[in-house]
Amino acid sequence: MLKTLLNKIFGRVIWALPLIIALPLQSFAQSEQTSNEPTSNTFPSDSAQAWMAKMSHAVKSLNYSISFVLLKPGVDAQPYLWRHGVNEEGLEMEQLNLLNGPGREVVRIGNKVSYFEPNVPPYSLQSSIINGPFPSELFLRPEKLLLGYEFIMVGRSRISGRAAQQIRIVSKDKSRFGLNVWLDQETGLLLKMNMVGQESQLLEQIQVTGLQVTQEPDPFFAKIEPGMLPDVVNFSPSSAISSPWTINYLPKGMTIVNRDLRRLSGSGEVVEYIMLSDGLVDISVYMQNSSSNKQQGNLVGTVQTDTLLTIQHGELNVTVIGKLPAATANAIAKSIQRTN
Amino acid sequence: MSQKIEDLSALVDGEHSDQPLSSSRVLDAVKDDTQLQQKWKSYHLIRDGLRQELPANINFDIADKVAQALESEPAILAPKRTWRDLPLVAQVIPFTKQGGQMAIAASVAVAMIIGVQQLNQPDVNQPFNAAPPIRGIQGGLSPVSFDQTRAVPNSDGVEQRRRINTFLIDHKQQLRFKTTQLIDDETSQLQPNIENEEAQSDLVENTPQ
Repeated sequence: MLKTLLNKIFGRVIWALPLIIALPLQSFAQSEQTSNEPTSNTFPSDSAQAWMAKMSHAVKSLNYSISFVLLKPGVDAQPYLWRHGVNEEGLEMEQLNLLNGPGREVVRIGNKVSYFEPNVPPYSLQSSIINGPFPSELFLRPEKLLLGYEFIMVGRSRISGRAAQQIRIVSKDKSRFGLNVWLDQETGLLLKMNMVGQESQLLEQIQVTGLQVTQEPDPFFAKIEPGMLPDVVNFSPSSAISSPWTINYLPKGMTIVNRDLRRLSGSGEVVEYIMLSDGLVDISVYMQNSSSNKQQGNLVGTVQTDTLLTIQHGELNVTVIGKLPAATANAIAKSIQRTN
Repeated sequence: MSQKIEDLSALVDGEHSDQPLSSSRVLDAVKDDTQLQQKWKSYHLIRDGLRQELPANINFDIADKVAQALESEPAILAPKRTWRDLPLVAQVIPFTKQGGQMAIAASVAVAMIIGVQQLNQPDVNQPFNAAPPIRGIQGGLSPVSFDQTRAVPNSDGVEQRRRINTFLIDHKQQLRFKTTQLIDDETSQLQPNIENEEAQSDLVENTPQ
C-alpha cells in the first residue's frame, strides 16, 4: 500500500519535472517581452561590443546621478554617490563620494582630479579618470580590453527595477577573473557588476540602487569653484631604469605600464617595481634581491579581492599583488629571468 | 517538425517571445516528443557553451547512471502478501505497472535513505586526523590572514606579516596615484604616470594605514 502511494507520488513528480523547470522560464520570457518592447527597436541589441560602446558614450556624455553599493567579502558594504555632468562648454565634471564614515570625496573637472580624504591633505592629479572602486577605464575605453578579453552577450533581466542587458567579460586565456555587467537597456549606464572567479564564485560586486538621468547637470557642479581645488601634484618623470630582469610571461592583453626603483615607505627597502595593466585590473610586481635579505618563505593568500603571492625565485624575492588568480600570479613571478 | 525545432531553439535563446501563448505551445510539444527532449538538452548545452557558462565538470547523464546502478543491484524480494487478493488492492496495483520510472523513483528514495543511514554511522575503528588536510593554492576568497596561510616559523611570522603589509600598502598607493590620460580617440594611448618616491613622501607620511 505504501509502495503504491510512493509510486504514485514519484510518478507524478517525474512527469511534472519538465513543467516545473519550464514554468519560470516561460514567465520570465513573458515579463521580458513586455518590459523591453518600447526600447528594443531603438538600440543595437545584437552585439556586446555595440553595447559597450553605448555604455562608454553614455558614461561620458550624459548627466546622471547614480547611487551604488560596493560589496567585498569580509568588509562592510560601501555606499557611494556618483554624479556626472557636462556643462555648456562641453567640460566634463564628475564626482564620487563615499557616503559612510568620514568619507572620501573625489571631484574631476576635465583632466584634473582632486581627492579629499581623511588624514591626507587634499591633492589633485592630472588624469582623465577617477581612481575609484570601479574600473573607470572599462567604462571609458572598453575597446582597450578587446586584446585580452572577450565580450559575450548573455541576455536580459531586471536590475534595480530597470530592464537590463547582461554582458559577460571573460579573459581570452582564462588567466584573469571575469566580469558580469548589467547595462541599463534605455541609457546604457551600469546597473550591476560582478567580478567572478574561475569557478564562477562571486568576488566583488557593485549594485546600483538608484539611477537618475537628467537634462541638466546636477546643481552640485555649479557650486564647485575650480580655482579653489588643490594644486596638481607634479610628477618628475621616472627615468628609464636599466634592469637585468625581464618578465617573460604576461597574460594576454596585459602590458607593463610603469617600471621604476622605489623605496618602500613602510620598511625603507629598495625594490624594483613593475605595474602591469590590461585596462581592467592593475597588478603590482615587486622584485628584491634575496641575497640582501633574510630568506623568506613562499606565501600565497587573498586580501579582500586582491591576491598576494610572494615567492623565492632564484636569487630574487618576487611579490605579485592584484586582482588575479593565484595561478596567474605564480606564472608571472616564475617567468622572471635575467637577461644578458 | 523543423518548425518545432526552430521554435525550441528560439525559446532556449530567450528570443521566443512573440506571443505569450506560443512558448507554452512549444513546451507542450517538448513534453510529448522524445526527439525534442533530446534537442532541449543539447540546445541548452550549446547555449551554455557559447556563453562560456559550462561548469568545470559536467554530469550529462546522472539519471542514467542512477538507473544503471539500480539495475545492477540485487533485487529486493518482497515477502508474499495475502492482502493482494483484496479487490480494492487489486485495482490499485495496475497503477504501479504503468511506468518503470515510478518503480525506479521509489527505489531511489529507498536507496537514498539507506545511504544516509550508512553515512551517518560513526566509524570509530579508523584512525583519523583532527586537523584538516593542507590544501594547495585556494582560489576562494575567504579573507585570509597571512600568518595562517602557511606554517611559518613563529619568529619569522611577525616579520613576514610586516613585510606583506608594506607591499599591500604600497600597492594601494600605486593604484591611488595612477594617472591615466585619455587623449582623443584617434591617438588615444595609455600614459600612466606614477609619482616617484620624493614627490609623494609628504603624502605617505599621512596616509592612513
